[in-house]
Amino acid sequence: MKRTQLAVLGAALGLTVAALVLTFTSDHEDNAALVAAGNLVAAWAFIGSGLVAWARRPANRFGLLLTAVGLTWLLGALAESNSSIPFTLGWILGGLYLAVFVHALLAFPRGYLETPSVYFAVTAAYAVVLGGGLLNSFFDDFSDECAECPPNAFLINESRLATDVISGLIIAVGVAVLGVVVHVLLRRWRAASKPLRRLLSPIYATSGASLVLLLVALPLSAVSDSASNAVWWVLVFVFASVPLSFLAFVLQTRLARAAVGDLLVDLGAAREPKEVRAAIRRALGDPTLLLGYWIPNANRYVDVSGLPFDVKAHTADEGRVATIVEHDHDLVAVLVHDASLLDQPELVRAVCAAASLALARERMVQALKGSERRYRALLHAIPDLMFRMDRSGTYLDVKGDPRDLTVPPEELLGSNVRDVLPPNVAGQLLAGVREALETGKVVTGEYRLEVGGALRDWEVRIVKDGREAALIVREITERKRQEDELRRSRARIVEAADVERRRLERNLHDGAQQRLVSLSLTLRLAQARLATDPQETERLLKAASDELALALEELRELARGIHPAVLTDRGLGAALEALAARSPLPVDLALTDERLPEPVEAAAYYVVSEALANVAKYADASAVAVTVARRNGSALVEVADDGVGGADPTRGSGLRGLADRVEALDGRLRVESSPGAGTRIRAEIPCA
Amino acid sequence: MARTLLIVDDHAGFRATVRTVLAGDGFEVVGEAEDGTSALAAVERLQPDVVLLDVQLPDMNGFEVAAQLCKQNGSGPQVVLTSSRDATDFGPLVPGCGARGFIPKAELSGAVLQAVLR
Repeated sequence: MKRTQLAVLGAALGLTVAALVLTFTSDHEDNAALVAAGNLVAAWAFIGSGLVAWARRPANRFGLLLTAVGLTWLLGALAESNSSIPFTLGWILGGLYLAVFVHALLAFPRGYLETPSVYFAVTAAYAVVLGGGLLNSFFDDFSDECAECPPNAFLINESRLATDVISGLIIAVGVAVLGVVVHVLLRRWRAASKPLRRLLSPIYATSGASLVLLLVALPLSAVSDSASNAVWWVLVFVFASVPLSFLAFVLQTRLARAAVGDLLVDLGAAREPKEVRAAIRRALGDPTLLLGYWIPNANRYVDVSGLPFDVKAHTADEGRVATIVEHDHDLVAVLVHDASLLDQPELVRAVCAAASLALARERMVQALKGSERRYRALLHAIPDLMFRMDRSGTYLDVKGDPRDLTVPPEELLGSNVRDVLPPNVAGQLLAGVREALETGKVVTGEYRLEVGGALRDWEVRIVKDGREAALIVREITERKRQEDELRRSRARIVEAADVERRRLERNLHDGAQQRLVSLSLTLRLAQARLATDPQETERLLKAASDELALALEELRELARGIHPAVLTDRGLGAALEALAARSPLPVDLALTDERLPEPVEAAAYYVVSEALANVAKYADASAVAVTVARRNGSALVEVADDGVGGADPTRGSGLRGLADRVEALDGRLRVESSPGAGTRIRAEIPCA
Repeated sequence: MARTLLIVDDHAGFRATVRTVLAGDGFEVVGEAEDGTSALAAVERLQPDVVLLDVQLPDMNGFEVAAQLCKQNGSGPQVVLTSSRDATDFGPLVPGCGARGFIPKAELSGAVLQAVLR
């Protein structure tokens, strides 16, 4: 308790003693003991409750107001005085506690008056109680009410009319003020949320009963003193129960300790974030409470389901507020709850403190869940099959597209690999699992397995995962196919080179070599005939010369077939012009001026050369267009004729050999040749 | 009396030159053939003493033709193989086919042929 509170307590004790002394020494009090008891009960109910509330919430003036009700109640004891002035003051101030009570009631629970209308009502209450009493004292000698009482010190002129008018005024204004109070309280009740109503109900019940009694007692006093007195006494005790209900409200934070105790038990048993939330909801009496866990790495809140939790959106409503929960100065969670819980800050604080440990623990779980969800999403995005298998080859877990499995996943679980896969594959996988488990190293392998009616290739990585093995299986059918195609393509290139060498050897042998042999024989013959037959010798030398010219021509052709010199010396453009010049058909050339990389130029030359040869042989065309362009880092080579079309690239080795040559440079060769629509051969070769 | 000779080669120009060379050196050229099949037929028909047989023919190689001719055991012609290649290119094929010998084309003359046949 602070000094001011102690001072108020001291003043209250002093006032009580004074009141008791006045009551028991009064010469006009018939029933001093009863009055003293009533005063003690009513006044100290308020003073005690008020001091407790004030001590617990020093910043809230509500406790002070409650205390003031008790103190002003005691002021009424001045009317027991045997001296004229204190008696008159006691008479005037006797109703002040009512104004203070209205003030306290309307200031509950925040401790201040929130709206102008409430402020006006409270001001009117003070005015009517003090002003009315004072005015009345000018015209009423009180002899009607109390014949033995001391004289009215403030009496100016005894006037029955004046006192009746003033009394009527006081009653009228008093009833009006009470009407406002009832109206305000009812409005608050309707606006209150469930937890707030639960808190308010005892206070409203006792205050309501007091007000009803007051509403009855005030007009009754004008009709019958005895009836009014009877009601008045009932009012005293009902009124005394009001601060007790206030005290109960204040003590609820004490009771909250019990709730917190339950909460700790509940939290200990809670297995799920939703159960944690339910426990906190029970402890705070707010079934609408929401819980957000702070995830530091993600820098955001998530709800009990692990989904993002937008505190701003949830507190956009005026009646919702957020309370931060910390643990060891770390932000742990946020509670979004009914604003009325702010009236029980201690309860909220106690619940937050109690829940912080569990929330900190749950937050870790939520964070893990979040990352698990992310990893799971990532895992599902990977097309690989994943299996978990024990040492004996029993499937423990499976993830993947059922279309990639030999048996449905549900059948796979618990089955042994030996019962599911062919013996060679099962053996290979089992050996891999054992090796991975024994060495702890990643074991890789490949196998071919019929799945979904097709023979498919698979690559497996086996990693040790505790006492089990994880198998990550990826389909590599397409890669294998490409590898096979590459191998075949290489073989075809080698074979084509062999064929080419054989052709060259044959051409040399059949052509130039034969001519040179003949030439040699002819020259020897001429030598033998030189002396005897000059004419024959001359004919032989002529034949030898012709033979030699033919041999040279054949050698030139042959050399050009091996590699056209013009291509090396002067580039693709000149080489293609030479090809076009030798072609029996008119060739329309559209060429780029840029030099291309040597291998690309060679490939382009052979594409055009082979295509032109094919056009001449098969196409029955009237013209050919040859285009070489550079586009997007690639050389585009196109040979299009207007012939009969219908060329089949799969038949014959010429086009296949060209495709191999182009593909060896990462390029593509396409043949479009619908019957009757000419043939278009397009090669796209990267120039990187 | 001059020996009769059949020239088997798929090059007409070579056949003509050889005919001139060997006729001048005392051989009687009774016929020419351009492949193995027609060579076997010509031997059947012309019964030459000597067949000058090119190793490389369009339909079958000279060794096969030689082997068939040599099966006739004494009644058949003497076979001499020739080629623009060197004998060493053919390894053991030349001695294994029953031919009398091998003459590289560039060295062909009546005297050389006589020497092989002797």
